[in-house]
Amino acid sequence: MNGWILAAVVVLAAGVGATLWGVVTGPLRRRAAAQNLSTALACPALLLLAQGYARPAYVDLALVLAVLGPVGTLVFARLLADELADDPPHARGPTLTAAALGAAVVLAVSLATGPGRALVKVLVVGALLVGGNLVASRALAGGMQEARRD
Amino acid sequence: MTEALIVTALLLVAGSATAAVAVRDPVRQSLVLAVLGVVLAVLFTVLQAPDVALSQLAVGSALTPLLLLLTVRKVRRRGQRAAGGGGGSDGRRGGGSGP
Amino acid sequence: MSPRMRLWLVATGGAGLAALLVAACLDLPRFGGDRHPYGDQAVEASLSRHTANTVASVTFDQRAFDTLGEMSILFAAVLGSVVLLRQTRDEHRARPEPAAVSRPVRRYALLVLPVALLTGLYVVAHGQVSPGGGFQGGVVAATALHLLYLGADYRALERVRPIAPYEAGDALAASAYLVTGLAALLAGSAFLANTLLPYGTFNTLASAGTVPLLNAAIGMEVACAVVVLLAGFLDQAVEIVDEGEHDDGEYHDDPRQRGK
Repeated sequence: MNGWILAAVVVLAAGVGATLWGVVTGPLRRRAAAQNLSTALACPALLLLAQGYARPAYVDLALVLAVLGPVGTLVFARLLADELADDPPHARGPTLTAAALGAAVVLAVSLATGPGRALVKVLVVGALLVGGNLVASRALAGGMQEARRD
Repeated sequence: MTEALIVTALLLVAGSATAAVAVRDPVRQSLVLAVLGVVLAVLFTVLQAPDVALSQLAVGSALTPLLLLLTVRKVRRRGQRAAGGGGGSDGRRGGGSGP
Repeated sequence: MSPRMRLWLVATGGAGLAALLVAACLDLPRFGGDRHPYGDQAVEASLSRHTANTVASVTFDQRAFDTLGEMSILFAAVLGSVVLLRQTRDEHRARPEPAAVSRPVRRYALLVLPVALLTGLYVVAHGQVSPGGGFQGGVVAATALHLLYLGADYRALERVRPIAPYEAGDALAASAYLVTGLAALLAGSAFLANTLLPYGTFNTLASAGTVPLLNAAIGMEVACAVVVLLAGFLDQAVEIVDEGEHDDGEYHDDPRQRGK
């Protein structure tokens, strides 16, 4: 029994489960926003798991997801710019909630980690996670217009 | 507690994998596929296979959607030409039915 | 071969494979049990060569020959895509117009690009001590370069990505893997045996003998392969235009040579 793992279960079941529902149903803008939120929520879950299993090496997973998750959303924002332009996603509330959750998890994990190189890694993950997902959601909400050439 | 975690991850994978098959439009399918990649990575982590999870994250989160969407874009441009007879000059992309 | 004959051939092969798989499954240790004969031996071999990450020891030491096969599969697959996606005679290149990307997105892309590149290199370099390795890190590093396309435009990416060096790098890295294997052979042991280098200190970067070398070779191979692969897809989706796809383009090619 482990509080970290319990928190990970809650984040996965409630958070990622909800984004799964969002990505399967509804208009394209809702699906795109849900895809962005899924990485924003899975990354804190991976951090919680690393802490829960007491395996600092697992933080690498969260690091890679924090780097590549927003990049994936940028892919969608860039290549679906035409489809999303008429009806851009505005998921301000959920995005801010996910960002706050990410920040809270990073704070809790870094408090538990204590000073050292591992702490720096967790903080880098946190900065990439929160910053990346805010920028990615902004990109989805019309930050990109492909110059129309055809 | 570990069992609850494994069950949660398995359910998420089963749900998103089924949805990836059930959704018919390639664009929406690629969105579901991106989520499937992330939950698969979580499942691998939960089953203590972080190396596999890392491969899944690296490939599934940005590379696969990019390859899929580029292919869709190319195919749609061709379809547009075939349908419109010499390239519609309008930026609106047709094609791709709803789910 | 007639369709009926082919069906029989597939059915026979499938039935044989199914029978073998079922036979193998019946002989497996029970799920969730405490007897893991293969795992125990793999961990023992990995610890004896000072490799903290047993998975890396299995892929790059105990079964390095297997990884050579996997690397060749990726190499061949990318080679095939390059051939399929090349510019044919009835296609021409149109200059893609720059995209309007909002400033925070552009800044984010330019800021994260070096971080992502570094993350990729970090994952490759730490393959022997923590989860990760050449494949994972190579993909991350190659994806990082494409932030230039996402955050700026395709021409910015093309400027840092002349394709020829990446194709050469792909081939060079693949041969580096082979040469490391052959060096072990020359030194008097088996092909790809981990006997060349000292095993070093457990759980540090300088450990595990040739595992880091092979990891670096795979990392470079995968990164170059992914860049070349994505270049083929991007060229087709962004630059290369079929006849008739684009009305105002000028055709430099001979229209008689149409045909696929």
